[in-house]
Amino acid sequence: MALTGLEIYKLLPQTNCKDCNYPTCLAFAMKLAAKQADLADCPHVSEEAKTKLAEASAPPIRLLELKGSEGEFQVGNETVLFRHEKTFFNRCGVFLRLQDSLSADELKEKVAEADAYHVDYVGIDLYLDGFAIEAASGDPKTFGAAVAAVAEKTKRPLILLAATPDLAKAGIEALDETRPLLYAADADNWEAMAQVAKEAGLPLTVRAETLDELADLTGKIKEAGVEDLALDPSLSGYLDSLHKLTSLRRLALKENFRPLGYPVITFPGSTESVDAAILAAEQIAKYGGLIVLDEFDPSTLYALLVLRENIYTNPQKPIQVQPGLYEINDPDENSPLMVTTNFSITYFSVANEVEGTGRPAWLLVADAEGMSVLTAWAAGKFDAERIAKDVKTFNVADKVPHHKIIIPGHVAVISGELEEELPDWEIMVGPREAVDIASYLKSMWTT
Amino acid sequence: MSRYVATRAIRGANAIVAEADVLLQKALKEKGADQAVAFPNTAYFLPVALGMMGHEVSTLGELEPVMTYAKSMLHPIPDSKVWTPYLGETLDSGMATLLAAETIEAIRFVYGEQPEPYPGFQLAGGTSFTSPDNGGEPSLDGHLNGPIDDIQLRSWGIQLVDGRMPGFAAIIGAARSNEAAVSIVRELQQRSILTFLSGNVNGRSIIDQLQEEGVEMGYDTYIVPFGRDTLSAIYALGFATRSALTFGGLKGGQWRDILLYNKNRVFAFALALGEVDDLKYAAAAGAISYGFPVIADTIIPEILPTGVTRYEHVISMPWNEIEGETESEKAKQLVQKCIEVRGVKIQITEVPVPVPYGSAFEGEVVRRADMRAEFGGKGSRAYEYLFMADMDDVEDGKIEVIGPEFDTLDEGGFMDLGILVKVAGRKMESDFEPVLERQIHYFVNGASGIQHIGQRDIAWIRISKAAAEKGFTLKHFGDILHARFHGDFGTIVDKVEVKIITEPKLYAEWLEKAREAYNERNERMGAMTDESVEDFYSCTLCQSFAPDHVCIVSPERLGLCGAYNWLDCKASFQINPTGPNQPIKKGECLDDDKGYFTGVNEYAVQASHGSVSDVAMYSVMENPMTACGCFECIMMVIPEANGFMIVSREDTSMTPAGMTFSTLAGVAGGGLQTPGVMGHGKFFVLSKKFIRADGGLKRVVWLSSIMKEQMAEQLKEAAIREGDPDLIDKIADERDCTDVEGLVKHLQEKNHPALSLPPLM
Amino acid sequence: MAVEIPKEKWTAQVRKVTIGATSEEGGTRAKTLTVGGESALPFLHYEGSFPNKPALAVEIRDRKPDDWSPLLLDALGETAEDPAKWAQAAEAMGADLIYLVLSAATADGNPNTPENVRAVVRKVLDATGLPIAVVGPGQAEIDNELIVPAAEEADGERVLLGVCEEKNYRTIVAAALAHNHLVQSKTPMDVNLSKQLVILINDMGLPLERIMMDPTTGALGYGIEYGYSVMERLRLAALTGDKMTQQPMIVDPGAEAWKVKESKVGEGVPEAWGDWNRRALNWETLTATTLIHSGANIVILRHPENVARVRKVIDDLSSATT
Repeated sequence: MALTGLEIYKLLPQTNCKDCNYPTCLAFAMKLAAKQADLADCPHVSEEAKTKLAEASAPPIRLLELKGSEGEFQVGNETVLFRHEKTFFNRCGVFLRLQDSLSADELKEKVAEADAYHVDYVGIDLYLDGFAIEAASGDPKTFGAAVAAVAEKTKRPLILLAATPDLAKAGIEALDETRPLLYAADADNWEAMAQVAKEAGLPLTVRAETLDELADLTGKIKEAGVEDLALDPSLSGYLDSLHKLTSLRRLALKENFRPLGYPVITFPGSTESVDAAILAAEQIAKYGGLIVLDEFDPSTLYALLVLRENIYTNPQKPIQVQPGLYEINDPDENSPLMVTTNFSITYFSVANEVEGTGRPAWLLVADAEGMSVLTAWAAGKFDAERIAKDVKTFNVADKVPHHKIIIPGHVAVISGELEEELPDWEIMVGPREAVDIASYLKSMWTT
Repeated sequence: MSRYVATRAIRGANAIVAEADVLLQKALKEKGADQAVAFPNTAYFLPVALGMMGHEVSTLGELEPVMTYAKSMLHPIPDSKVWTPYLGETLDSGMATLLAAETIEAIRFVYGEQPEPYPGFQLAGGTSFTSPDNGGEPSLDGHLNGPIDDIQLRSWGIQLVDGRMPGFAAIIGAARSNEAAVSIVRELQQRSILTFLSGNVNGRSIIDQLQEEGVEMGYDTYIVPFGRDTLSAIYALGFATRSALTFGGLKGGQWRDILLYNKNRVFAFALALGEVDDLKYAAAAGAISYGFPVIADTIIPEILPTGVTRYEHVISMPWNEIEGETESEKAKQLVQKCIEVRGVKIQITEVPVPVPYGSAFEGEVVRRADMRAEFGGKGSRAYEYLFMADMDDVEDGKIEVIGPEFDTLDEGGFMDLGILVKVAGRKMESDFEPVLERQIHYFVNGASGIQHIGQRDIAWIRISKAAAEKGFTLKHFGDILHARFHGDFGTIVDKVEVKIITEPKLYAEWLEKAREAYNERNERMGAMTDESVEDFYSCTLCQSFAPDHVCIVSPERLGLCGAYNWLDCKASFQINPTGPNQPIKKGECLDDDKGYFTGVNEYAVQASHGSVSDVAMYSVMENPMTACGCFECIMMVIPEANGFMIVSREDTSMTPAGMTFSTLAGVAGGGLQTPGVMGHGKFFVLSKKFIRADGGLKRVVWLSSIMKEQMAEQLKEAAIREGDPDLIDKIADERDCTDVEGLVKHLQEKNHPALSLPPLM
Repeated sequence: MAVEIPKEKWTAQVRKVTIGATSEEGGTRAKTLTVGGESALPFLHYEGSFPNKPALAVEIRDRKPDDWSPLLLDALGETAEDPAKWAQAAEAMGADLIYLVLSAATADGNPNTPENVRAVVRKVLDATGLPIAVVGPGQAEIDNELIVPAAEEADGERVLLGVCEEKNYRTIVAAALAHNHLVQSKTPMDVNLSKQLVILINDMGLPLERIMMDPTTGALGYGIEYGYSVMERLRLAALTGDKMTQQPMIVDPGAEAWKVKESKVGEGVPEAWGDWNRRALNWETLTATTLIHSGANIVILRHPENVARVRKVIDDLSSATT
């Protein structure tokens, strides 16, 4: 049973020492209750309190951290089955798989290209989380060289797909100061693999055909001293993935079933007759942890990364668009100027409609803290003052000498105040809904 | 039920059934039982027989069971000595009459007597009747319409169902004069009410009257001349029956459902013009079974209690007693009465003012330099007062300007102004008066060139030069209010009358009355307690972003956004019964102190989709109400101070909780119960129920200064009520301290009562 | 260790809705389409029954659209010139439902007319034996003017009419009542509004078995997360017994995905967006499959290749062999 913030507070030192970086013990307790803080951040908590709180505060899906020579990646710690219940916290990883059968040069070229991949989505920089190198050769030396080649071209976290202790060791030796994920321990090799992982202090993937076997193995490996684990439940296609991953998530969250409370790694490209992009998309929405792709194709990757961004958006903190003056269809000094908020959906609907008209226009996206027009207006984040401020901040007057600004119909009430704030401007009241922009411009903007 | 009405209806039914029987026997003899019988262009056979009996008539022989059934519903004429309730008998007679009338009209079709020939008549679109005289070709000439065909039924039916047509009127008889006839029909036409004509008085029908006056009749004009005798009124009920079969998805024989469908969904009424004979009484009884009331322009006994129809059954409105100088004024009153009786809702789509009107103009400011006239503000006063009255005391659409217009003022001048709005409605309650009154602000502001600020007796209105030049006058305020109250609040308001007063004496008189009402309303709301009502209201407006959050609004706890109090929610529910504000039966009070109610808990489980199972209305420490994110303030327990801090949305300073408003919002919001933290509306602080279980106002140790200032007077009163008049001065704000240490010191210095209350935790 | 798979116990199910009528049922369709009836979250066969697979509708227009992506128009080729051919092509692609969208204006720029609508509806009904949907261009007055004659022309065919929205539903519902059709009830991404409109439509007398619920969704990257979560919430509410959320859901990933820049524009976009055609196809497919996972019962698609692509996913997910 989860404890409330008040109950947790009673177990804390109540000194408000701020060593946890929270201003008061109560504030820290509230964060703990929301499973957004770690009890370990309080250096003063008593052993007795720790035991009582451990159960309540341990995340049901253990956090897995990987490190590259620079980049870091975290997955796990999820607390809900449906994103609307709170949010999905740690974005699932999207990795690219490469085989050591490629030559070092080929590998470097491929990695360099994929590593350089960046795409902008509403001001968010999206990219691959790392690479998985597969010891297809079965030869430790070849594998070690391949890992080294990859590490030369990327600083991102790696996954070593090396099924024997020797291969794994060769891979580990080729790296320094990083924290790759080892893959994989199964019923046959788990003791040796656990040994390797334990010695190197690295996380280990556990693979089995059934959830029963998987739970057996994680129990044994945990006993052997490896706590940071990932699961490979050997998926075969859309339905198997949906069923197994749903069961895993439910077991962890609803039953607090620790043996399977770890992030899941998937290889959507491994099942024949399955469209890897579609399966990867399914796993982004339905409980994948590390998704390893086989092909680097921007037209697919872009779509998947955007989908992940969407699914992992905090429903209470919607995606925001960078405030600023946006150009649509190459506007000039005679083009109309419209203003809206930086709530992504609001921006998209307005921008799409304007773009759809084929008419050039300026769109001033005001900093309304990511709220929609009416919400922002009600909260005082999209008032005359704010719009006037952004008009100045983004030097709008220089771009549109006509000094006419069209405000959303829903905030018609601020037109008067805005006139006060922008004395030499003409305030025009546009339509309430974005769909009516086309007809509005047609009738109201004649140049 | 009047015995007089019953007697005449039963007598009328007995006569017409006998007549129909004779006619049928004659027809059977002359034409044979296999002779085909049909109304033209319909798939519903004889619709009343189909609907009521589930019986498909296509031959003369098949009419016999109809007559047998009709006869079975006849009753003896009531004894003049023995009094019994007559409603059942009267309604049976009505039904028998309808079946008999349909039988007769069907036989007349066989004999070529329907549709009724009418030499020289030209239908303006309508049933194309194949006549032998016309060489078998369809023709619109020389006959009345007869029954409505299926194609037209669907086309009009769609408009009746979707509300573009408010309803239909079946007129039977003849008006007092041709002018009256035309006026009545025009009044109906203006309101898009479909009009069916039939019947006569001493051989003269309203159809004759309209024909003489050159009024076009037919499908195209929505005025359908069925026939010149009373029997043809049966086509109106056939139309109603077929509507239920078509749009209600009902089958022939489901008579009860068909009648209920018409009662509940078809806004129709019968208007009996001129003398009412037995047959008309009998037919009227049939109409009542369908839930259609009958309004007569002669003196007849009224049947007022509602029951079978949604409203009164029979209304008498004698023509010569109707107020009005001209026939057309009287017609207007009569039609208005019909509309009220049937509860037909009128749609006004355009606000009739000479300036552009729409929400786009709501925020316009009229500057002094652009101003033609001003009411309220510095130099004068303006007030607005809305109150309800009895139906008969409100004349819908009447707008009076009493006193001088503003054109008597110099440019930029000012004058006193009172706006009185008198409303009536079957669902109107005096509790809604303030809710509606507040709408005046939005409604008036919608006009281009008009600026409205404030409410009650601090209203402030400016009219721009541009608006004045376009012809805007004071009367237009009335037009706006009339149109918008009907448009937006039509579910609770049936009639709206407006008086605009600038005449000083009357102005002062009404100001006095208005102020009394404002005070009385304040007290009424102030005196309302959670104990005094049965229902609280939910508000799920915010579930779009806090899916499991439910606001529960009670008289003593307004919504956490501050925008909705209990009365607002109640009115909102009346206006939009499927909307976000639903009544919650309070149920049993489980804990008076903490405010647990069985009904509230049950509702919370359902509306929060299982995530909240108990809600304490008056506690923050135990199962507090959830919050969306719209709260005006956040309160949080400060354990060290043994009390609570309250920070308001406008206050951006650090608080003793170690978090600013926006950080706290992340803890309080999202629809989760977090004991110790709660979002709420500002004015809740003043309520007697405010965290009663946790110690009430005396537990407040820190309060944003902006709230202290905004509510200074009320806070003081509340402090006195709590028995500590200086309490507010003892409460710290962001100017005194923004951390726990400072707060505790402050409280000790001021000797704040919270320090000596029992420990919170 | 034997792991017990957790199963949810749901108390209710999604309502079944049938579109189209065969000759025995008063229409002329060769087959009908039934959706809904499931008693668990999408494809979790082990905790409920799924009598009907999610279905695919293919959007066709009464005339060649002016503003569609050239990729789509190329893929459709000549068929886009004629609604009858288009309907046949959609049937060949594997559609379960023909989703006919009427244009506000005819090709020469004049307002569309009831006569033209009747002719097009007749043509499409004659060209295919599949059940059809007919929806207006999405402008209240025009919708009402065009849907009434469409409903009349297709009398008895149990066509899905649309689009009913909060501000404009009465005429379309009345037309559905008059001619025995169904309606699509569309609300803007909000659970309570979805419920409310279903209640209002039902209040007019249209049985719940004749209402498809369209909760509206954005495309991938353009608000899909809102639609996705609203659909999950509606479905959870339906399975826990909230009657007015139990309508099967129809959503339009085709229209949503093909109106965004990623699908429409091939030049002057970031290189990182990748190959235009593959990207555009992915956009529609991934929008559709993601919505299918959140409970969609009918998805409307545009691109012929994607119909096959999504069909395969649905078939795989619906085979309860694993």
